[in-house]
This record gives sequence, structure tokens and C-alpha cells, in this order.
Amino acid sequence: MRDEGIPTVAQTAFREGFVEVDGFRIRYMEAGQGAPLVHLHGAGGPRVTPAHDLLARHFRVVAFEMPGFGQSPENTRTRSMPELASTMAQAVARLGLDTFNLLGTSFGGKTALWLALQAPSQVLALVLEAPAAIRQEGAESPSGSPEEITKRLYAHPERLGTIPLPDPVLRAKSQPLVQRLRGPDRDTDLERRLPSLVTPTLVLFGTLDRVISPAMGRVYKELMPGCQLVFVYDAGHAISTERPEAFAEVVEDFLERHDAFVISRTETVIHP
Amino acid sequence: MKVSFFETGRYRAPRALPPEWPVPSGAYDREAGAQAYQGIIERLEYVEALGFDWVSVSEHHYSPRILTPAPIVTAAYIAARLRKITIALLGPIVPQSNPVRVAEELAMLDNLAQGRLVVGLLRGTTNESLTYDLNPQEARERTDEGMELILRAWTEPQPFGWQGRHFQYRTVSVWPRPFQQPHPPTYALGTSREACEFAARHRLGCGVSYGPFEVVGKATRYYREQCARHGWTPAPEQILYRANMLVAETDDDAQALLRKQPNQAPFAMRAGVRDAIMTLDSRNIAGEARAPVVSGALPTTFIGSPDTIVEQVRRCRNVVGAGVLDLSLHPPGSGDLDALMRSLDLFGKSVLPRIRDI
Repeated sequence: MRDEGIPTVAQTAFREGFVEVDGFRIRYMEAGQGAPLVHLHGAGGPRVTPAHDLLARHFRVVAFEMPGFGQSPENTRTRSMPELASTMAQAVARLGLDTFNLLGTSFGGKTALWLALQAPSQVLALVLEAPAAIRQEGAESPSGSPEEITKRLYAHPERLGTIPLPDPVLRAKSQPLVQRLRGPDRDTDLERRLPSLVTPTLVLFGTLDRVISPAMGRVYKELMPGCQLVFVYDAGHAISTERPEAFAEVVEDFLERHDAFVISRTETVIHP
Repeated sequence: MKVSFFETGRYRAPRALPPEWPVPSGAYDREAGAQAYQGIIERLEYVEALGFDWVSVSEHHYSPRILTPAPIVTAAYIAARLRKITIALLGPIVPQSNPVRVAEELAMLDNLAQGRLVVGLLRGTTNESLTYDLNPQEARERTDEGMELILRAWTEPQPFGWQGRHFQYRTVSVWPRPFQQPHPPTYALGTSREACEFAARHRLGCGVSYGPFEVVGKATRYYREQCARHGWTPAPEQILYRANMLVAETDDDAQALLRKQPNQAPFAMRAGVRDAIMTLDSRNIAGEARAPVVSGALPTTFIGSPDTIVEQVRRCRNVVGAGVLDLSLHPPGSGDLDALMRSLDLFGKSVLPRIRDI
């Protein structure tokens, strides 16, 4: 991988912390001030990116490492996505956050949806980045060599700088958990609850997502007509890494204004 | 082979026009203009009767040479007046348009014409970036993104937002949807690697223009290779070739007529502007750099007697792979309507019936 190109690693100093809940010691990375924004990562584990830098300018960003991912020990205990969501809700509560914005990426998008369903009064707004909660039939998680995984995750890996390649050992550790929790492509237990979700929700898909078809976006709209669907042009599955500025702008705007984010504030005066 | 007539709206200037592009609009003669627009319908009734499959219109600005700056308006006018012919809108210049508006207007037009619409999307000729103050260096990227957004707007059944590089919308949900589903037959026009790859990725047709068969054939070959890479094979009519055609009774007559044609475009840009814009407008044929066409006359690649032309069409099919010819009949862009009608008549009666099966 080249060193030049779009940076893929956060420049801001994120401080590390831990909370002990539900029998797990859960690591998190935190930066910024303002309304809290909790991030639940994808199946590849946590990674702090330039999109986190941008979001940390306006929010107190708390990026969790869910038990069984990243540096944490293997998680053989959690049996289901609702159970993982409950654990993560406890972790947020332990930080003293009564209400918070919630961002879920891919696998973590499904965790975030369950968390919002379980604790609707605490989640101010929900952002789902290429969520894996509703998948096209036969969807497969990225697998194979780190290079093959990279090709699935990014539309234009050649434009990116050094991409921290997925560590095969860490992936092997978390894979049984992912397989146990990801559920069927169409999870009827989850989908029948979605129409009752009142949390303001933004669903984002990259137009070149090669993991979850961007056509799944319309299913969220069918099940949750109040949600907002936005396509991020020319991004793959890892939207926030490939187009961090575009991602952060729409997320910030939505978290600030919810449905009113559809009203443009772009000024077009050139010479007053 | 399908055959399309490229309709430009022939303007018969009652007095000499200034030679430079942009042509001063004060030189416009409203009587001549009204006649040019009326002439479109009279001519196309004949074109339809001769058996042409399509009529095409295109977008050009600030000149009487092609009198259709708003080709969708022209297409709607044609759709209302002619009953059978397919209307090929080749096309809206995407980088200087609002792609959502383009998607809406084309969808509306497809409904008005009850499915008689074919669409070509393109970047536009070099001079057109001056028309709406478009930075020529951004034209390629705006084209790719705009085309992608138009296709999405036609096909996405739920309201959506678009977080682009050059375009941003929070609310898109076009009505009407196109009459043809999922959308009208669509071509990405141009020889560039980017246009060919876009067409292949989205299973669109590829449209090339004017260059010699071997040159435009490089682009169509690259397009077919890219289609194969994406796991499909384009139908012959998904390759469109627009060309000048000069047909005469004999080869010698045709060559004599060609020698009388000017070798400069009728309305050239001022040299300083032309030279500056050429350094900013990068063009290619299937990835091979080429200079932008700014002031030269476009080549005439079909020329000769009906027999000769039939053979040239056969060669074009073999070399370019084209299944649709979009023809600008000589003299291109001129107001010499008698000459045009002679060409049309000769082509329609002596060539058209013989190239159907090529």
C-alpha cells in the first residue's frame, strides 16, 4: 500500500479508557467536546479514522471496542445481537451519558438498531453507516487475504494512503462471534420492530458498496418511512474512510437538525 | 443497421454572420429563426416517411449552427408532431446541468413520447464549458457524477439524498418515472476511457462520433472489453456512431462537393481563448491522450456514390461495431436546404434500404 493519498488514520489524540460492565472490560477511545456521539464499529473491529477527527470537532466522540473485537479477549459468551446491544447500553451508561447520539457501522449498525429499540429515550438520533442489519440474499462478509478484504471494503483503495490491513489473528478471534450474531440476511424479529422505532434515523450507503448492496437502503425506508436515506457518491462499504469530509458533513448536519437537515443552508451569494 | 437523422434546425441567415463563437445574439433574425424551427417538422415528416428509425437532437449554445440549446424542448416539439419516429436526445450536457432536473425532464419526455425516447449523456464539446462558466478541469468528474445521479434518480423507488463531490441534494424523488423501465435506452457518449468504463459498468450503450473508423474503433473495442469484464455483451445497437455523410450520384461528384467545404468550423473561438482552453481540457480515446477539437471542421467519414457508401457502412460495422448510425447529411450545419434535401432523398432511396441488413 502507498503512503501517499487520503489519510486513513486519525490525527487527533484520542484518549483511551475502559469501563467494566456485564462481566466485560470494555475499551473506548474518546476525543472532542459537545453532545456525545457513541460509535459502534463494524465486524473488522475498531479503528479511529479521519472521520472521527472531523466529528470530534463538534461532538464528544466515544468509539467503543465491543467485547470480542480488537484487543479484547475472545467473547464466547454473548449469544445474540440484542444481548450485545444491552451490554453496550450498559457501557454507555457507565460513562454517565444519559442521552447520546449513536453511530453504528455495518455489523455495528445492527447493534445500534437493537440498542435504539431497547433504549429509545436515551438515543437522541441514530446514524447507520452501510448497515448490515438488512442484507441482500446470500450476502457474504468480506473474507480471504487482507488484500481481498480491502478490495471488498473500498471502492478506490488506490486513492487511499496506508490502509491498516485487517489482522488475520484478530479476525479469526472475532469471526465465531460475528457469525453467531450477524443473523439471517432478513431478520424478521428485528424488521417487525423497526416500524415502531421513533428515533430520528439516517441511513447511509456508498454508491459502490460491494459488501451490502446500496439497494438495501430502500428497505429501511419501507420499514421506517421517517428515516432519511442518503447515498454517498463513489464510496464503497467503508464510507467514512473513503469520503471522510462528505460523511462527517452529512452526519453532523443530521445530528444537529434531524429531519430539518433537508433544508439547505448553503449560501450562493458570490459578490454581495 | 439502424439509422438516425441528426436534426440541427437549419438556420438560413439572411445576411452574413460574424465568424466567431460566441456569435453575437444581435445578429439573430427572428423570421429566419421561426422558419428554421418550422422547417424541422416539415423535414422530419419526410425523414420519417423515408424510414429512418430515429431522429437525434443535441445541445449546443450561442450559435446558429445547431439551433437547439435546449434539446429537450426540441424533442418535446418533435414528440408532439410526429407519431412513429424514435427521438434520440444526444444529449443533455451533463456537467453544466442540474442532474435531478435532467432526470425529471427526460422521464417526462419519455412519458409524453410514450416510450419513443433514447438518451445520450455526455460531457459536451470544449467550447461549451464557456456557456455556463464551467471550469473545464472539472467537467469530466461532474459528468461521471451527474450521470450516476440521473440513473439513480430514475430507478430509486424511495426518496433519497445525494452526498456527492460536485452535487448535493437532501431530497430526490422524481415524478414521473420513465415510461420505459427501468429507464430509456441510454448511451454514455464519447471516446474517453471514463465514458467507456461508465457505460460498461452501468450496462449502457456507447456512442462515438466523427473520427475515422479505426480511431473511434479503439474506443468501441475498449468499451466491449470493459463490458466483458463486467460480465455482459452489448447488443449491436448499443454502439452508436455519429458521422458526417456526403452522398452524391458518383464518387467524383462527392469528392468535388467535399473540396468546396471549408476546412474550418464555421464559428471558431478567438485564438487566445482557444489556446488557453485547450491546455485545460484533457481528452482521450480509450485512455490515449488526444487534443480537444476546437476549431477544425469535423471529418466526413462516409463519402461517395450510394454503392461506395454501402461498402463504407459495411466496413464501419466491422471496424467500429456500430449498430446505429446517426447521420449529419452534407452540407453539415449549412442553411443550404436544397442541397440537404437532395442528400436526404438520395440517401433515403438509394442507400437506406440497402444497409438495413448490415
